[in-house]
Order: sequence, then structure tokens, then C-alpha cells
Amino acid sequence: MLRKSDILSTIRMLQEENLDVRTVTMGINLVECAGRNMKATAAAVEKKIKLKAGNLVRICDELSTQYGLPVVNKRLAISPASLLLEGHGHNDAVLLARAMDKATTEVKVDLIGGFTALVQKGMTPGEKLLIESLPAVLSQTARVCASVNVATTKAGMNVDAIKLMGQTILRIAHATKNKKGFGAAKLVVFANIPEDNPFMAGAFLGTGEPECVINVGVSGPGVVKRSIDRLVKLRPGCTLDEIAEEAKQTAFRVTRTGELIGREVAERLGVQFGVVDLSLAPTPRVGDSVGEIYMAMGISKLGAPGTTAAVALLNDAVKKGGAFASSSVGGMSGAFIPVMEDHALARAVANGTLTMEKLEAMTAVCSVGLDMILLPGNTSAETICGIIMDEAAIGMINRKTTGVRIIPVPGKKVGEKVDFGGLFGSGTITNVNCPDGSEDFVNRGGHIPAPIQSLGN
Amino acid sequence: MAKKSSNRYVVSILVADRVGILKDITSAVTDMGANIDGISQTVSTGYFTVILTATFTKSLSPKDISDAILHNFAKDEIEIVVRPYEEAAVKRAPVKGNRYAVTVTGKDRPGILKTVTTFLAGKGINIEDWYVEFVGQNVTHIGVISVPKLLDIKQTQEEFQQLLSPLGLDSFIQHENIFRATNEIGSIRSLIKSGR
Repeated sequence: MLRKSDILSTIRMLQEENLDVRTVTMGINLVECAGRNMKATAAAVEKKIKLKAGNLVRICDELSTQYGLPVVNKRLAISPASLLLEGHGHNDAVLLARAMDKATTEVKVDLIGGFTALVQKGMTPGEKLLIESLPAVLSQTARVCASVNVATTKAGMNVDAIKLMGQTILRIAHATKNKKGFGAAKLVVFANIPEDNPFMAGAFLGTGEPECVINVGVSGPGVVKRSIDRLVKLRPGCTLDEIAEEAKQTAFRVTRTGELIGREVAERLGVQFGVVDLSLAPTPRVGDSVGEIYMAMGISKLGAPGTTAAVALLNDAVKKGGAFASSSVGGMSGAFIPVMEDHALARAVANGTLTMEKLEAMTAVCSVGLDMILLPGNTSAETICGIIMDEAAIGMINRKTTGVRIIPVPGKKVGEKVDFGGLFGSGTITNVNCPDGSEDFVNRGGHIPAPIQSLGN
Repeated sequence: MAKKSSNRYVVSILVADRVGILKDITSAVTDMGANIDGISQTVSTGYFTVILTATFTKSLSPKDISDAILHNFAKDEIEIVVRPYEEAAVKRAPVKGNRYAVTVTGKDRPGILKTVTTFLAGKGINIEDWYVEFVGQNVTHIGVISVPKLLDIKQTQEEFQQLLSPLGLDSFIQHENIFRATNEIGSIRSLIKSGR
């Protein structure tokens, strides 16, 4: 029996608070397409993507209409492309990426993830090829997203791979300098990469996943922010545990909408349903910001002491609410802090209250890492490597996912503005407080052994 | 004439709200040896209304039942209708389809309900429940409706919005599962199955 108050509160979430399903992502295993002839492999990849995902957008749109719930993005994630590149050369990697791009365009999906290599313990020739092809791939395709996993709690940290990534990120930025280095925004360097993450740019289909699966990423920072606003208005002196409870209950409701859409899409497509990733993912719109949630809690200047605790409170409340809402929670599930994609975070960086170093601290207690951060074009490869190593260390030691998605913008200096448009947002070039001094450490290369936490058996 | 179900009656009552109304009604019915097997009650702007069905152990006339209930109320306090329960009427009434919620919000004006219900009836949509809430000059209508399975819901939503938008009214028609998902705690899998 539907109650009037239930209907009204749900309508409010949908109409006033920007509740939506951020992404329905179809995972497709393409390993069967592997072969010695890349033209044949690329054709098989194209064919399989179109076969599996041909109806994805139509079905998502139908359900969106039925429920009055926007499904903002429909996306694809494939098994690691490096598995298709063993025994091939540079041109083959580009050919494969173009086939992915073309098929994605034809099924009317905006992004495809999975141009991925998992190199935490070492690199195969195919994985090395994939990384070295990234400047060409990310500059010559529009929809392909890439990710490289360089560390896990179990395997430790591959510093040789990180050294290669530092140089590669600069090359990608240079190859896309006519787009302000935008190519680097389509690459995430991970520690403990999740195999069922539906969010871009880091989505891929793990080798332990089904042949074809639907994973859903919910959103809802606007809903959480407004619920805290209402609580604070009702009880101005409310305590932080009351705020945590409010965020938890809201996360419950947000997660349920994601599972509803995900299960229905999967059923109509005749594929398995995977997980709901209950991350709070912001967009550049006002009212759809994670930074605004911290401000609603009482952090008037993002980056001030206490900000990390606010992130921890929110991240934990979101997980608890989501875990009760669904037994199919996965992916990253927490609060994202992608600077350019969140107007409140971007403004705090521009104002200088939120620094790279504070963001790094925040990533120790939230769901991802240093995300969508603009750096000066003259940032060195060693500095980028150091940033990646620090983030990977946080993930490796704390048994959590961390990622780095930074964009060294060619020709730009600290304080200059850059706008990528759309969901990628805009921001200000920020500085690394101490940009040099770790070159010798980084250049030693090698491998940081797996931490003691890895010996859990 | 439709065949009545022996000794089963449907009773409808309207009365200004006060404490104890339902007690007065159900006592009268029960004391006549009846089992109440269906009931729906609501209060709207100070008025109480109830519809109930009851099966009696002995043969009674509608007037017998009405008089027994009236006995527990003051003179002219209530309006009451008692009719034999007709199985055939129940079988032909409801629309079989998917349950949706319809909401209409905006500045109140005469004729909103007529416009909305005329549209819904024209589409073969059955209204199961309807609520209205006023905040200042604004009104919110909320309806629970059964939509025939073959109806194109997207086209219906668009026509509904085109009808009400010129009147300054926002309107939505959404499947009930979105409201159940966000307000209930049962598993989503069960919810989807139960909707079929």
C-alpha cells in the first residue's frame, strides 16, 4: 500500500534533489575474440559488443520513463584489453581501440572502459604494449577509457610500472594538447582495482566476472545534502551522529533505486545482474556536489581541519546504508572527490583552501583517490610517479581502492583555469607543495613488497 | 438483476469525525451476528467515511442493518447506505494492469480533478486511491492508478503533461515500484517479482 508521505518524499528526491542512476554499465568478456590476426580480433570485438549491447540504451530509456528516474549514462566495460594484445604490436593496439570506439558509438553508448592492464606484480609483453599505446589510443579515440593497476595489498607495488605510467601520462597529455591534455582524464592508475566498478574512467570487467553482466552506479549527493539541510534546519544543534544516521538512511533509499533499475535491465536483456556501486558521484551542477555535503555538515571552507573527518563520516554512513539496502553491493561504494566534476571542491581548490596534500589525506578515508586534478604542464614524470606511489601506498596498506586521475595540462601554469565541458567539468591548475626532491627514490624502481597485511591466510 | 451473495452486504457511512465512530458501527454490525470481512476507512477535512462488507448468519433486510447502526448515533448525525453484495459487480470492476502513482502539483484552481479524471478514464485507467494536500495556494494531488498493460506509458505521460502544463501544473506518472523500493525494506528481487 503506497502512502502519501512515501510518494511525496520520493518525488522530492527525483524532482528537486537530482536523484538519478548515474550509470548502467554492461560488462562484456571479450577474451574469446583473441587471435593472432588483429583485424579478425577487432572484427570479433566489434561484433560481440554490438550483439550484447545493442539494446542496452533502449531498455534503459524505457525503464527511465516507467519509473520517472533518469539513467544518466549507459556504458560498457570489457575484460582487460591487454589479454587481446599478447603477441601483437603497437598498430594492433590502436586498431583494437578503434574497433572498441566504433562499436561503442554504434550502440549509442558514451564511454567504454577496459583498455586495462593489471601489472601490480609484473608486466607481460601485452600489458607493456597496452601502456605504451595509451598516448595514441587516448588521442585517436573518443570513447575508450583506460586503467592500469599498479599495486595490491596482496602483491605489493610495482614501481617499475609506475615509472612507465609517469612518463605515459605526460605523453598522453602532450598527444591531446589541442584538447588541454584531456586524454589523461580518460586514464586511472589504481591500487586494488575493483573488478566490478561501473564508473568511468576506471570500469573494466574482471576475469572472475560473468560472461556478460549489468553493474549499476547510483549517485545522489544532492539527496544526501538536502536531507542534512532539512535535519539542520529542524534541529540546528544536531550532533554528528544524528547527521551520520540521516546520511545512512538516505543512502539506503538511493541504493534501492539503483538495484531496482539494474535488476530490471539485466532481466530484460537476459544477462546476469552484478552489483550496485553506491558511490556518491558528483557532477559539476550546483546541488549535485559531494563538497556541498561537507559544507552542510558545518565545514564552511573545504580543506579546513575537520574536512577529512567529515569525509570519513559520510563515506562510512553511505556504506552502512547501502549494505542494508542491498546484498549486491560492490564496486567502490563510498564518496568520490573528483575535483573538476564537483563545483564546490573545484572552487575550494581555486581559493587555495583545498590543497593536493589535504586531498591526499581525504583519499585515505574515502572511496577512490586523487581524481580529476589539474597540474601544471611542466610537472615532471618523477613528481607524477611520486604522487601515484603515495596514493598506491594508502590503498595497499589500508586494503582499499585508491586511484590517481591527474591531468598535467600542456602549457598551463598554476592558477590558470581549464574547462573540459560536460560531466568532466572545469577547474584550476593546482600546485604540488613540494614538487621535487623524491627523484632518487622514485628512480630506484623495482617493487615494494606486499605489506604484512597481505599475510592473512 | 445481478445475483447477490446470500446474507453478505456492503455498508457505506458518512459522518462528521469524532472519537468512537468505528466502535459504534462495528458493535452494531457484530451484535447482529455478522462477520466483517472487508473494510476501508478514511478521514478527509473533518469528515469520516467508511465502506465495509459483512456476512450475516441470518437473513436480514438492508433496513434492519441500517436501523441497527443508526441506533448508535444521534438523529441526523450520519448518512448510511446498505446494499446486498453483488459478486458480478466486483468481477467486472477493476482494471487489470500495472499500478502507477500519478502526482499533480501547482496552484489550486477549480476543475483540476475533472480534467485529470476525465483524461484517466479516457485511457481506461482505474483510480484506486486519491489524496489531495494543500499548502497555501498550492495543491498536490496524488493518485494510485491501475494502468492497462497494453497502454503506451510514454505516450500517456506526454499527453498528460501536455494537458496540464498550460494550466501551470506539473505532473508525473510513475510505476509504483520506485516508491516501494525507496520506502520498503524487502528485497528488490521480491518486489520486482510481486509486480508481475
